Amino acid sequence: MSPSSPLSRRTLLRASAGAAALTAAGPLLTACGGSASAALDPTAKPDLDGVTLKILANQPNALSFEYLRRPFEEATGAKLKVTPVPYDKLTAKAVLDVQSGAGQFDVFMYWYAAVGTLAEGGVIEDLTAYIKAHKDIEESDFLPSLYDTYTRYDGKRWGLPYDGDTHILFYNTEIFERHKVEAPRTWDEYNDIAAKITKDARGRYYGTIIEAQQVPVILGCDFANRLAGYGGSFLDASDAPTLDTPEAIAAAQVLFDAAPHALPTPLQIGFDQALPAFLDGKGAMLDFWTDFAKRAQDPKQSKVVDKWAVTTLPVGGDNTEPRTSLDAGFGLAVSTASKQKEAAAAFVKWATAARQNLLVLAQPDAGADPVRTSTLNSAAFRKNSPGSYEVVRTGLAGDPLPWPTVPKAPELLQTLVDELALGLQGKQSAKTALANTQRAWAKELKGASG
Amino acid sequence: MTARSAVRVPGALAVPPVAFLAVFAAYPLVYVIGLAFTDSTLARPLQRWTGFDNFRTALESQSFTGSLWRSVLFAVLAAAVQLVLGTALALLLRARARRPGLLGTLLLLPLVTPPVMVGVAWKLLLAPVGGALGGVLHALGLPGVNPLGSATGAFVTLVVIDSWQWTPFVMLLVYAALLGVPDDLREAAALDGAGRWRTVRSVVLPYIEPTLLSVVLLKLVIGFKVFDIVYVVTAGGPGFSTTTSTYDIQRTALQEFDVGGAAAATVLFSLLIGLVTSLVAVRRKRHEEVAV
Repeated sequence: MSPSSPLSRRTLLRASAGAAALTAAGPLLTACGGSASAALDPTAKPDLDGVTLKILANQPNALSFEYLRRPFEEATGAKLKVTPVPYDKLTAKAVLDVQSGAGQFDVFMYWYAAVGTLAEGGVIEDLTAYIKAHKDIEESDFLPSLYDTYTRYDGKRWGLPYDGDTHILFYNTEIFERHKVEAPRTWDEYNDIAAKITKDARGRYYGTIIEAQQVPVILGCDFANRLAGYGGSFLDASDAPTLDTPEAIAAAQVLFDAAPHALPTPLQIGFDQALPAFLDGKGAMLDFWTDFAKRAQDPKQSKVVDKWAVTTLPVGGDNTEPRTSLDAGFGLAVSTASKQKEAAAAFVKWATAARQNLLVLAQPDAGADPVRTSTLNSAAFRKNSPGSYEVVRTGLAGDPLPWPTVPKAPELLQTLVDELALGLQGKQSAKTALANTQRAWAKELKGASG
Repeated sequence: MTARSAVRVPGALAVPPVAFLAVFAAYPLVYVIGLAFTDSTLARPLQRWTGFDNFRTALESQSFTGSLWRSVLFAVLAAAVQLVLGTALALLLRARARRPGLLGTLLLLPLVTPPVMVGVAWKLLLAPVGGALGGVLHALGLPGVNPLGSATGAFVTLVVIDSWQWTPFVMLLVYAALLGVPDDLREAAALDGAGRWRTVRSVVLPYIEPTLLSVVLLKLVIGFKVFDIVYVVTAGGPGFSTTTSTYDIQRTALQEFDVGGAAAATVLFSLLIGLVTSLVAVRRKRHEEVAV
């Protein structure tokens, strides 16, 4: 540097270091400062007229809010602004919205497995007092099979159920008749049918479609469906992992055994390939969410109209009672960064009421499933779900398998699907995959509690 | 030094660039390093000082260490393939015409296509049901062949897709360098009896070597950073076969919400990129010194 310059190298470095320290301190101070938004008043009666509520919604369910928009506006004068986000970005988007201080949303639609993550992260409001103060929420009407799982963490309620998702087994009746097979009752029968059809069809179509992309909501569902069928669980009552049990190992093994007979290649199959394949008649079986029935029967999308049926997910081992798994499923919660929390809570209460649940259940493109006993048992839902009603009812009214909802759930589920993927790839046995998962989960959960 | 150039520059003039550097360079770096040494989740960053725990966990993770080697392999393989193809195309283009014209524009199309669209297009092309490739293979009596279904097939497919997109970039840079090769050098080589291939090998390529080394450096960095096509086409699978470090870090941060772990992995990955690219940079510097 020229001696004539008033800026020495040292001065510049000092200035840079100072600026860097100041900028780096920003988030530290923010992290310590917490949210500036006022707490939710559980007994307040907000005037919703003229209010605009911003909702972060799961993409497949976003249309459901379009059906709620008009009645909500007529009832309250409030407007809804809905932002759809792919299911795998929902949690991250909600967390970042609050953590960054942006506060762009009032209501978060959340995947229930993330309830612990969101609650522990200070992203969603504790609604315990609000629910207690509003008896017209009719808590007892929420399906017992999912109410606590969807909303409860650390002894508090953090949201209300909105979409009660479960899987059922779809099968192509034309293919089944052609190959003279019947709907499987056990996972072993399922594998036998898949093997027979794939072998006989010689590449024209396949015995089953297994979506096994290494994502919790995809590969995780394959395993969870089988784990439910074998009567297993992810965690015990004390939140300790139960993945090294004979039921869990059998569930993984029966999944690995099915893969060679499925549409190639399961580890690369996601929703974008599985659904068109079934609708195109290229696959004989597919376990999927219940609302897929409406697409299968839509001639604009489907070549298998009137050529499909559904049944409960198969069972395995000593279990003989059909049992489904709570695969995905969403609730509504109030953002801690919202500046109109009372209005947001009022919308959550209104949108999850039986009347609104029935309203969205009637729409084929709303992606909605019952969350209340009254709507599950209603004549209207029965009428709107020809062919699948009894199967859906059996699943939701029974004892479905809940996924983990602890704060570490996203990490735990990713570990599980990573290990299962290695098993499906033939790199390790079912026993090893689940032993590794059990060890990793135990370590994570011990660390979390400690 | 003239009297005019000796005029003192007010220190305030340096504030904008210093502030710019602090905000856009120093801040992210300091913040990432801060995250790497703390227990940080997406919702609650900088919770607790954890020393080197995150680094230890990253280095013990087979998923991450495996991704490092895959990233190196991908970057080196893609750079090599694209350097050879791009140089060959540039030589052909240079031999045929002074200006690239319509052919050059067509060759550049993949480069200007957004990477996500490139991924989507290739995924549709390779889809086992309804995909163009699947249809051709089925017609040839090879039903059910899915190049993305095997570890090697998926990795090679990603290199092919990346090469399809980036070879025009290499071609463009090499073509520009070829334009700078003096004609008299070629003529001298011809007078000495060198054939076309010998001229290219012994005269043209050594002349443009600094450009080629710069291209390799750039392509290595781009290759290390590959994310879009991995995300869209293979999602890191099957298994971990195509999980590169960028994909693994994204997964750790935005799917597992372990931001501290992702930050430590980012620091380690950056060190690796620095190490690999510095080898090329050293070679380039030596070449410059020899040239001087």
